[in-house]
Amino acid sequence: MEWLTRFLRMRWAAVLVLPPLLFFLAFFVGPLIYLFFVSVHDVSQVEMYGTRLTVENYVRIAGDPFYLFIIRRTLTAGLAVSGLSLLIGYPVALSMVRMSPSRRSLLFILLLFPLMVSNVIRAYGWIAILGRRGVINNVLSDAGLIQAPLLLMYSLETVVVGLLTILLPYMIICLVNALLTVDRNLEEAAQALGAGPARTFFYVTLPLSTPGIASGLLMVFLLTLSAYVTVQLLGGAQSKMLVSLVYDSVMTFVWPRAAALAFVLLAISLAVTTLMLKGIRPQRVQGKG
Amino acid sequence: MSTDMGGMDVVLRHVTKAFGSVVAVNDLTLEIPRGLFLSLLGPSGCGKTTTLRLIAGFEQPSGGDVFIQGRRVNLVPVYRRDFSMVFQNFALFPHMTVANNVAFGLRMRRVPPRERDTRVQEALALVHLAGFEDRYPKQLSGGQQQRVALARAIVVRPTVLLLDEPLGSLDKKLREEMQVELRQLQRAIGITAVFVTHDQEEALTLSDRVAIMNGGRIEQMGTPRELYEHPATDFVANFLGVSNIFEGRVIARQEDGAARIAIGPVQLSIGWEPGLEPGAPVRVAVRPEKIRLGLPDEPGGLPASLRHVVYLGATTHFYLEGPDGASLVVHVQNVSPDTGLWAPGDWVSCHLEPRSVFVLRKR
Repeated sequence: MEWLTRFLRMRWAAVLVLPPLLFFLAFFVGPLIYLFFVSVHDVSQVEMYGTRLTVENYVRIAGDPFYLFIIRRTLTAGLAVSGLSLLIGYPVALSMVRMSPSRRSLLFILLLFPLMVSNVIRAYGWIAILGRRGVINNVLSDAGLIQAPLLLMYSLETVVVGLLTILLPYMIICLVNALLTVDRNLEEAAQALGAGPARTFFYVTLPLSTPGIASGLLMVFLLTLSAYVTVQLLGGAQSKMLVSLVYDSVMTFVWPRAAALAFVLLAISLAVTTLMLKGIRPQRVQGKG
Repeated sequence: MSTDMGGMDVVLRHVTKAFGSVVAVNDLTLEIPRGLFLSLLGPSGCGKTTTLRLIAGFEQPSGGDVFIQGRRVNLVPVYRRDFSMVFQNFALFPHMTVANNVAFGLRMRRVPPRERDTRVQEALALVHLAGFEDRYPKQLSGGQQQRVALARAIVVRPTVLLLDEPLGSLDKKLREEMQVELRQLQRAIGITAVFVTHDQEEALTLSDRVAIMNGGRIEQMGTPRELYEHPATDFVANFLGVSNIFEGRVIARQEDGAARIAIGPVQLSIGWEPGLEPGAPVRVAVRPEKIRLGLPDEPGGLPASLRHVVYLGATTHFYLEGPDGASLVVHVQNVSPDTGLWAPGDWVSCHLEPRSVFVLRKR
């Protein structure tokens, strides 16, 4: 009878897993393979891609200083946004964990509130603040402090600040959830063994929150990499990132190059994910090396 | 600030701790001499864990003073007090190996690496865990984790070892083994230990002294034998094992100084105690194993009828109804195959041995 129940249980598991698996295969893995297929063909004037198999698209990206510059900028933005959100978010998360559950959930709602406003609207909000005729420039010129409007828009810094306001809540939520799982007894045990507040934090709290740090950093980094609206509206033509280039290539019907750029983006994401997990080693917390 | 406290390692003076309107510890005074194994025993919510946390410094007293080795530590933070603690759930650092867990306290005290390694080895050997240095806590059994926690606590050679129900999560057999090991270890290193538990048997097995707590106060403190043989209050009499309580009357103080009391039709002479008054009512208690059952017509006994019999192999437990309707429990050793072959409904007589009758001072 035991084999029967086990068999039935496996069947049930299969039935439950199958629909999302099929969906994933049909609408993600399939197109991805097709996209790769497109990326290794030459450009055609009439078709989506030419008939010749080639790695030319990748070679051109790797050899073109413009593309390399954009890749570097994309990486810089990703690391800046994720790093800054960790630095700003950690103290917030730490103080939220120490709060009573009711106050904490109130703060969660406050944190999630900005996420209810569309990115487009928020980007225009930033333009209203930072633009040539924005709030800051108006105030400063009315006060007679500046003669000509300051150029606050269309820079990498603006993009980073804009993305930070969008992505910081994700980081804080990841960190709070991780910190909530840290047993308070462990911090007390560290103190009982002679560790003051600073050493308790660095030896116990911080390492035990690494799963949250890793997931927060990855989420923010990957969302930065794939951000489009904010980058486009706040960065303008001067501060394009990889996703903007993919979009531009698609708009000019250079599908193979767009596909190749998309794969470069994917490769960067995978590489950074691997490096972060290797560096932070969140699995330590589970006690397996 | 340091005062001599005559070899007292831990002293609490009129310590009170209130959480909002709830008073967890109420005007508690306690002195623990060096090298003593003291158990704080009581039901949940009696304030025993709060008392321990006050000594550790995780809680600040609302009133009164805490001293460790003569030093007043009210304002000393946890990490500057000279104690170690074993937590109920062990609180081993999951991201550190066994060796690093044990070395943690030494690292915090900036003990040089070479000495640190030697002491970690010694401590692990003491708890029979040599060779487990590179394991992680998750890879150990409950008993092994318990031992790591113990090694981590003693390796720093603290003045006082605080234990917060450290054996509570182990199964019965392992718990009994650990009790013996814990006691041997404490004696071997001569450390002062304060042990919090709600398990009476555990407290009696382990301790030099037991303080029975109730409602934020110590009801009675003494050696396990004193507490069991001479409980001072109803609470202690019933918390440490079962007691049969009888309402009686003091007849007189005899010439030899003993008290003559009457319980129903039976008269007994017991030791005189302050507070007894001829003619006044008295409440006494007798342990279930210290009542002898006899045939109903045997003189000098209290008549009782049998309600329920539980045969347990080595002993038989008889549940009886006394003369005034009070329920009694009597445990009888099954010394021969035909001991206590009574059945429910039978009438018997209960015989109290005067030296086993103790007077209860208050309810």
